[in-house]
Amino acid sequence: MQKLIWILWPSFVVAGIAEAVFFTLIDPQELYLFGEPANLSRIATYSLGFFAFWAVCAASSTFTCFIQRSAREINRCPLPHRERPRDCPKADEE
Amino acid sequence: MAQTAPKPEKAAAKVIPIKESSLYEAQKKIYARSVTGVFATWRWALVWITQAIYYGLCWLEWNGRQAVLFDLAERKFYVFGLVFWPQDVFYLAVLLILSALALFLFTAVAGRLFCGYACPQTVYTEIFMWVEKLIEGDRAARMKFDAAPMSTRKFVRKTAKHAAWVVIAMWTGFTFVGYFTPIKTLASSVMSWQLGPWEAFWIFFYGFATWGNAGFMREQVCKYMCPYARFQGVMFDPDTLTVTYDAQRGEPRGARSKKADYKAAGKGDCVDCGICVQVCPTGIDIRDGLQYECIGCSACIDACDQVMDKMDYPRGLIRYSTEHALAERWGRRQILAHILRPRTLLYGAILSAVVIAAAVGLTLRQPLKVDVIRDRATLAREVEGGLVENVYRLQIMNLAEEPRRFALAVTGMKGLQIDTDPIVEVPAAATQAVSVRVRAEADAGKRGSNRIYFEIHALNHDEVFVREKASFLLP
Repeated sequence: MQKLIWILWPSFVVAGIAEAVFFTLIDPQELYLFGEPANLSRIATYSLGFFAFWAVCAASSTFTCFIQRSAREINRCPLPHRERPRDCPKADEE
Repeated sequence: MAQTAPKPEKAAAKVIPIKESSLYEAQKKIYARSVTGVFATWRWALVWITQAIYYGLCWLEWNGRQAVLFDLAERKFYVFGLVFWPQDVFYLAVLLILSALALFLFTAVAGRLFCGYACPQTVYTEIFMWVEKLIEGDRAARMKFDAAPMSTRKFVRKTAKHAAWVVIAMWTGFTFVGYFTPIKTLASSVMSWQLGPWEAFWIFFYGFATWGNAGFMREQVCKYMCPYARFQGVMFDPDTLTVTYDAQRGEPRGARSKKADYKAAGKGDCVDCGICVQVCPTGIDIRDGLQYECIGCSACIDACDQVMDKMDYPRGLIRYSTEHALAERWGRRQILAHILRPRTLLYGAILSAVVIAAAVGLTLRQPLKVDVIRDRATLAREVEGGLVENVYRLQIMNLAEEPRRFALAVTGMKGLQIDTDPIVEVPAAATQAVSVRVRAEADAGKRGSNRIYFEIHALNHDEVFVREKASFLLP
């Protein structure tokens, strides 16, 4: 849950900023989709654009979360299963 | 995350349980006790003012249209008499700079004034907590109520609370969308059940966010999600007014009888009733000193003042004070005198300068914009009479809210003339694209590109005038 919030919240904020800057400079009616003029209303383009930005930013946040794990989190616990303390986060791992 | 990690060689010798500490943690629900007093009254006044503006402004009419409308579909922002086009993004940047500077100034003077009184998070939480108190009771009653097993009474009350919250949240979402798409049309499409999919989506999205943030997330938004909470500290200095517990006066804290001579017993003024903690919406103890979680709402000041009154002690054990004032035991006058200091004067000066510059810029703004684009198909062609013709596309943007006629002229080369109709009519707040053929003698300039100017002025409005550069090609 908290990882999900780490990923979704900052990307939401950045997507909002990106959306505002991008669509201030570019009129959605001038966009082309696969070489064809995108036949979408402006409101639809803004909305889809926002979700596209959000998805891209969330992908970046996900990658950050993925690579910032410490060696301790990635490596296998050196202790045998039964010797781990009860509240060890790896208690359930083999 | 991994700050408490044991060193690997130690881990092999002795097992130290690994504890994960995190930025966002599921934690105990805070049951803030409701509070009355000077600052609570201020906060409610600001709830009323901000919400009267937010819920009301979108219904105002101006020039036969919505007074404040950020019309995304038409790419035009209407703010009373002003119409902003995407080309006016400069003013948006100015607005952001103004907001940032105002935040710096207010923070330097009195800390998190915005957070404590005017932030939407605070305002909606206040409204939602008021509903909650009305239906479920105050702090103690709510704690008991939540701990009790589910019953018909509990179910009915919880449902009533959520129904009220949802109504407020949906109205908030509807109002929000009403700033971006004309609200009267929006209202009639809601009534007739013919809402567009995106409008419906954004009403629900914003409504859901309001319900979640004001009903559940509450202080967690301030503590974990708000970037301002993280950097506000850098704008503080020793003369910044913050909500402060006077430890010198209060300690050692402890319970006592009202009649007892507590000073003889070596006790301070704090009776350790814990009410300052109970009223805190972020659940902190202000007596531990200034903390980043403190949103400066002053609920603890109001609560403590009431306790001091009951004990017949002077008010202000918790009060707005500064680091310097506490250390030097300054009075109110000295604190106020230190509000004017280089930092605040500098912020104030820059803020005033930007406000004046923006006001002048807006007053002098031409209600006309013209983009000149050379026709890409033909560069230059010879026409009858030994003349050379260049074709341009002019985008004439009439920012005024009335139709206007504009006269076109070209200068910059000998004998330049416009071969098309030099008068163009543009509807109110609209763009008109016109194709303009310009002719000149073949020997009127050098071969290649020549600088010319389009001069456009509004008929009957001599002050509305724009001059745009273009290039005229000679073969």
